[in-house]
Amino acid sequence: MRNKTILLLGAAAALGIAAFGPMAFSPLAFAQGASGPFTQAQATAGQQAFEANCAPCHLQDLSGTNDAPALAGTPFMGAWGKRTTAQLYSKISTTMPLGQGGSLSQDQYTAIVAYILNRNGARAGNTAFTPASAVQIDSIANGRAPAGGAPVAQNSGRQESAPAAGPNNSQGNAPAQSNFARAMAGQRVADPGAFGLPAKFGLSLEGNIQNYVPVTEAMMNHPPDGDWLMFRRNYQGWSYSPLNQINTGNVGSLQLKWMWSMPENGTMEITPIVHNGIMFVWGTGNTVQALNASTGELLWENRLGPAPRRPGPGPSTEETRSLGLWGNNVYVNTPYGYLYALDARTGKEVWKTHITDELKIPGGNGTLFGGSTGGVIIIKGRVLVGMTNCGRDGDDNHCYISAYDAATGKRDWKFITTALTGQPGGDSWGKLPDNKRKGAETWIAGTYDPDLNTTYWGTAQAKPWRRDLRGSGDGATNYANSTLALDPETGKMKWWYQHAPGESLDLDEVFERVLINHGDEKYLLTIGKPGILWKLDRVTGKFMAATPTVFNNVYENFDAKTGKVVYRKDIREQKVDQWLSSCPGPEGGHDWQATSYHQPSDTIIIPLSQSCVFMLGNGSQTYFEMPGTGGNMGRLSAYRTADLKPLWSFQQRAPFLTGVVSTAGNVAFVGDFDRTFRAVDISNGRTLWKTRLGTTVQGYPVSFSVDGKQYVAVTTGLGGGSPQAKPGTMLTEVHRPPNGYAVFVFGLPDDK
Amino acid sequence: MTSKLFLALAFAAIVTPVFAADYQTNLGPMPLDDETKLVIGGRGEATASSDGKTMTVKGSFRGLLSNATEAHIFISPVCGVPGKAIFNLDVTKGTSGTISGNFKLTGAQAAALRTGKLYIQINSEKAPEVYPWGPKGNLWGWLFPAHATVGANVPQQDHWFIPQVDTPCTKTFEDAKNA
Repeated sequence: MRNKTILLLGAAAALGIAAFGPMAFSPLAFAQGASGPFTQAQATAGQQAFEANCAPCHLQDLSGTNDAPALAGTPFMGAWGKRTTAQLYSKISTTMPLGQGGSLSQDQYTAIVAYILNRNGARAGNTAFTPASAVQIDSIANGRAPAGGAPVAQNSGRQESAPAAGPNNSQGNAPAQSNFARAMAGQRVADPGAFGLPAKFGLSLEGNIQNYVPVTEAMMNHPPDGDWLMFRRNYQGWSYSPLNQINTGNVGSLQLKWMWSMPENGTMEITPIVHNGIMFVWGTGNTVQALNASTGELLWENRLGPAPRRPGPGPSTEETRSLGLWGNNVYVNTPYGYLYALDARTGKEVWKTHITDELKIPGGNGTLFGGSTGGVIIIKGRVLVGMTNCGRDGDDNHCYISAYDAATGKRDWKFITTALTGQPGGDSWGKLPDNKRKGAETWIAGTYDPDLNTTYWGTAQAKPWRRDLRGSGDGATNYANSTLALDPETGKMKWWYQHAPGESLDLDEVFERVLINHGDEKYLLTIGKPGILWKLDRVTGKFMAATPTVFNNVYENFDAKTGKVVYRKDIREQKVDQWLSSCPGPEGGHDWQATSYHQPSDTIIIPLSQSCVFMLGNGSQTYFEMPGTGGNMGRLSAYRTADLKPLWSFQQRAPFLTGVVSTAGNVAFVGDFDRTFRAVDISNGRTLWKTRLGTTVQGYPVSFSVDGKQYVAVTTGLGGGSPQAKPGTMLTEVHRPPNGYAVFVFGLPDDK
Repeated sequence: MTSKLFLALAFAAIVTPVFAADYQTNLGPMPLDDETKLVIGGRGEATASSDGKTMTVKGSFRGLLSNATEAHIFISPVCGVPGKAIFNLDVTKGTSGTISGNFKLTGAQAAALRTGKLYIQINSEKAPEVYPWGPKGNLWGWLFPAHATVGANVPQQDHWFIPQVDTPCTKTFEDAKNA
């Protein structure tokens, strides 16, 4: 099927070239720049091939997003100006599309290179481009868009941006139907639970769940032992199950109870949510399903759409990480900024809204502003959701956290996560005008302390990523890479603590905020990509303690009394054409694979990654093993939270690509890049049980019970950013199927 | 806590007798992307012993994707950041083999060894001549003070080796420019 997909894609691209001819942008419609070593026909064909294969990540205007660097303008010229067209061809043909290098024809690759050169100001000539054509790129291109072409990004690569514009599918102003979708149009599947490309979106199987128990505030504050009602199970973000039927003594006999295949293609890092024997799970293409949690029987299915924009694993912008429950509804945020309430009993849509009211990006050709990938948290009848892909250099848009009435979908409040002029911390952006203050995305859902009536969120870095491009000098760029404490009823900020002021290397501090108490003391723990485990007073935001968990060479100093970090001199003084070493790299340290707090032993268990990068100003990266690790990219470490004392740690070649769940049975479960799902003894880290699944074990495992039997569920899936890209390149001995998205449920033998 | 630890370790590095120190590294691939991983690969191990004035290096490697051509000791300003070559090592001109060398150390070089700023690099025939990010090469590894290592999936209890905690290797080493 995979080969068929690729063939179809290739055929579609070829047909597209023949059928559509030159589109709105004519590659020759300008008269600047030197003559390039390619023809008009190549550049025209390259546009079609680019849009089919590259635009889903690099965007239609080549401005890049997340892990896909900009391919036009200053960032591109900074990275590639002094290199040759042959090197550019080699890079693209061997590495792209991501994870599928070499999958296109030579003609397609040469055409794509021609198109990129053309979009950077190189003129077509009479000589066809070949893989051997070696011309220094800045001798033919200047990074400026040709007249009549779409705007070329002048901002940093990997800046926030929105999905490519284009024709619509069934979902209002949803992103473009991709060439992938067009190519797959003949491969429709109408049966609920079966996936090629859905024949239609919408409620494909209506449910009729009787005696559904509405989720109440009391349940959210004190989740029933057998349920997993939200992202990290409890408001405090522990990922800890009080179930103890599966324990250190019997976990070795764990066996598969059922599995359910999920939609293929795209990106999946989801948390199965379980309530009263029903599992709710999100799949690619925003397919939401309810399953009988003890048998795996499909109860209802709603295909919200749109379909993934290209075959194979998708980027980190096309997913969500958790659903939410409240009353009789299940809540879903989609990567394109929609928020749905579905009836948990039937799957029917109750309401739908968009976190930016379907605001279109200025000059974005209909592209919507705002996305959301971090899941939701529901507090006192409000659905709180974060935002990604929010705003481009020079527009008036910013990232924000927003809250919606769970009953109606009406927005209650929003909190902009960049400090604007006149606001607390607003002077930390140098003299940058507000319309250049970007980033501080919230791509992991927050946690909540009911006693303090405070919700805690992490933010990602400022945008553009690199301080030399940002123009903020040594400014801290609040509230980027911070912990935010907000009133969930008003959105008013109570305090913020910035972990990494002026961050510059895509080292987010955005991940889970874990709320723990020691006696009357109330703490917040978090760990970001730099690998520093932080402990704050969550009443005041005061720094309490921190400890490094992996090798870090981006900080030349770290003050344990204040928590202040000082970046290495060459990072502080970085230049756009300078390659910088970063340990950890953007894989982290720690990434979205969340920790678990095992409350009985006061132990926090942390999935860690051990890779470094060299990074160039436009986001180009090359990866190497973290010094001192012996090539082991994965590490699972445990710390006592009272004093951050290291308890145990083990490392392995493959990084861990799931969060951790710990249980009252004193076992913790975690899955990895190389398909292994395991249980470890919380007291010493020893592996007690493991099994090998179909493809990468990726997502957030959970534990639940039905009819007195405890289960452990985990998903397999692919797609995402650095946690997939780095090991995907470095672990050359690891081979994984490009499909196999599924949920697996394990339990003890029935006779036990 | 961490700063105190840094200071303590830095102080220890200064006052600890400089003789009979042992160092170790695991040699892994130099920076990889989907292009360079086609020509760069392999693994190795090396140790160094020093009396503070001389250094003896021994090691082995295997699995290179083309024959080794040369090997060097480099000095870097911060571990994980490339530096410049200061010594040539003897190396087997094959895809597997050994490296070795015996060198006199300047004070700065000895200090760099103690603080985790020296690394070993093996070059090979097919590794690119020029990397945009720095020197060419195939395998590299930073020499750190000898420490306990365990196999994959074997838990270590209590403290485990973290380079910047156990050495001052991320403190900028200005002498790297003149060593």
